[in-house]
Amino acid sequence: MRFASLLVLVMAFVAWPADIQAQRMQEREEEFLKSKPLVDDPLPDVTVYSSDGMAFKTADLRGHYTVLTFGCLT
Amino acid sequence: MHRDYGPKGVKFFFIYKTLAHPELAGNYVQPFTLAERLAHARQADKQLGATIPWVVDAMDNRLKHALGDRPNSEFLVNPDGIIVRKRAWSHPDQVRKDLEELVGPVEQITREEDVHLKLELPIKAPAARGVVPRISRPQMQPIVMEPHIEPKGLPFFAKLRAEADADLIRNGAGRLYFGFHLDPFHNGHWNNLTKPLSFKLEICEGVKVDKLTDVAPKVEAVSDTDPREFLLNVEAWPDGEPLRLIVTYSACVGEESCHTVKQEYVLHRKRDNDGGGARGEGAGYWDPKEFTRQMLSGDKDGDGKLSKSEARGLILPQFDSLDIDKDGLLDRKELNAISDWLNHHHQPGSAPANSKKRQ
Repeated sequence: MRFASLLVLVMAFVAWPADIQAQRMQEREEEFLKSKPLVDDPLPDVTVYSSDGMAFKTADLRGHYTVLTFGCLT
Repeated sequence: MHRDYGPKGVKFFFIYKTLAHPELAGNYVQPFTLAERLAHARQADKQLGATIPWVVDAMDNRLKHALGDRPNSEFLVNPDGIIVRKRAWSHPDQVRKDLEELVGPVEQITREEDVHLKLELPIKAPAARGVVPRISRPQMQPIVMEPHIEPKGLPFFAKLRAEADADLIRNGAGRLYFGFHLDPFHNGHWNNLTKPLSFKLEICEGVKVDKLTDVAPKVEAVSDTDPREFLLNVEAWPDGEPLRLIVTYSACVGEESCHTVKQEYVLHRKRDNDGGGARGEGAGYWDPKEFTRQMLSGDKDGDGKLSKSEARGLILPQFDSLDIDKDGLLDRKELNAISDWLNHHHQPGSAPANSKKRQ
C-alpha cells in the first residue's frame, strides 16, 4: 500500500510537466479559436506574393477548398 | 494529403512569414526586403522538398497579423472564402479528417514514405563558424528597428538583430544587445584583413549609453562568418525617441569581391512582435544526443536503430549513404556522425557547453 502511494506520487510528478504542457496547448488553442477572424468569418483580403514575386489578393483563392499553413525556414 | 486531395480540387499553400527562430539551423536571419523574403521561400521549397506552393506575406506581415499572429497556425477556407476550420498549431491528421468530412474520403491514403521528398540541407556558410565566442544574452526581446535601405545600394550583407531586456523596454534603463549576423543568402564572410566591424550610436538628449561607439575584436583567421555582438548599458531612453545606429564593416563574397559598407538603422524602444525568438549562443548547433534522441523517436520496433521505413525528414533521402556499415539500419554511432557532420560542415554554431563566454 505504502509502495503504491509512493508510486502514485512519483507518477504524478513525472506526468505533471506533460499535463501542464498539454493544458497550456489546449488553452492556447481555445484562446486562438476565440480570436478574430472566427470560424465562419471571411478570410481577410490582403495582398500577398507568390514565391516568384507576383502580387495577388487572398480573395483570389476563392473557388476551391483551400488549406493555408503558416511556416518559415526556422 | 496534397497528393490525395489536390486531384479533388483542394488547394494547399504554405504561407511564408517572418522567421520564428532566427539563427536556428542554417543561421538564417530576418530578411530586410521582399526580394530577400522571396529567396527565403524558395529556399524553404528546396529544404522541404514539398510540391505545395508558398504564399509570401508582405514585409509588414499583414496576413500574419490579420490571421492571429501564430507561427504555425492553419486555416481551412471554403470555396466562398469563408474560414471553416482554424487551428493555432498545424495538425495534419486533423486536416485530413476535416477534408474527409468536407470533401469526402480518398480511396488510398498516401503515406509519407510513398512521397520520396527531395530534401536539401540549409545553405552552407562560406567560411568557418565557431571562431568568435558568442556572448550570453539571457531574457532579452527583439526590439523594432528599421534599416535604412537605399534602392540601388549594396545589400545588407550583415544584418542587425537588436534586443533589449524587459527593464529597458519598460522603463528606458537596461541592457541593449546588437548582433550583426551575416545573411547566408548573400553568401558573405567577414574580411578580417581589414578593420573590424564598428558602430556609432547617435542618441537624443538625456540618454546615457556606456558605449556610443565600439569595435568588434580583431580576429586572427582571415575570414569567418560568426556574428559580431555587443552588449550595452542604457539609461534614460525616453519612449518614442528613436536611436540612430551607424555600422561600418567589410564583407567579401567569394575570394575577390570585398565591400566596405556603412549602413544605418533606427532603433525604437518597443518590442518587435515579429522579431521571433533567437537562440543566441549555440544557435545552429545540433546537440548530438538530442539529435539522436529525436531521430530514434521514430524507432517503432524498439531495437535502438532506425530502419529505412522508420527514418523521417532530412535523413530519409540520404539513408543509404549515411548507413556506413551497410546493414540497412542507422545505429546511434551513425546518427551521432550525422549531427557531427551537420555541426562541422553546414550550420555549426559553437557548442554551448564548450563555448567561452564574453561579457
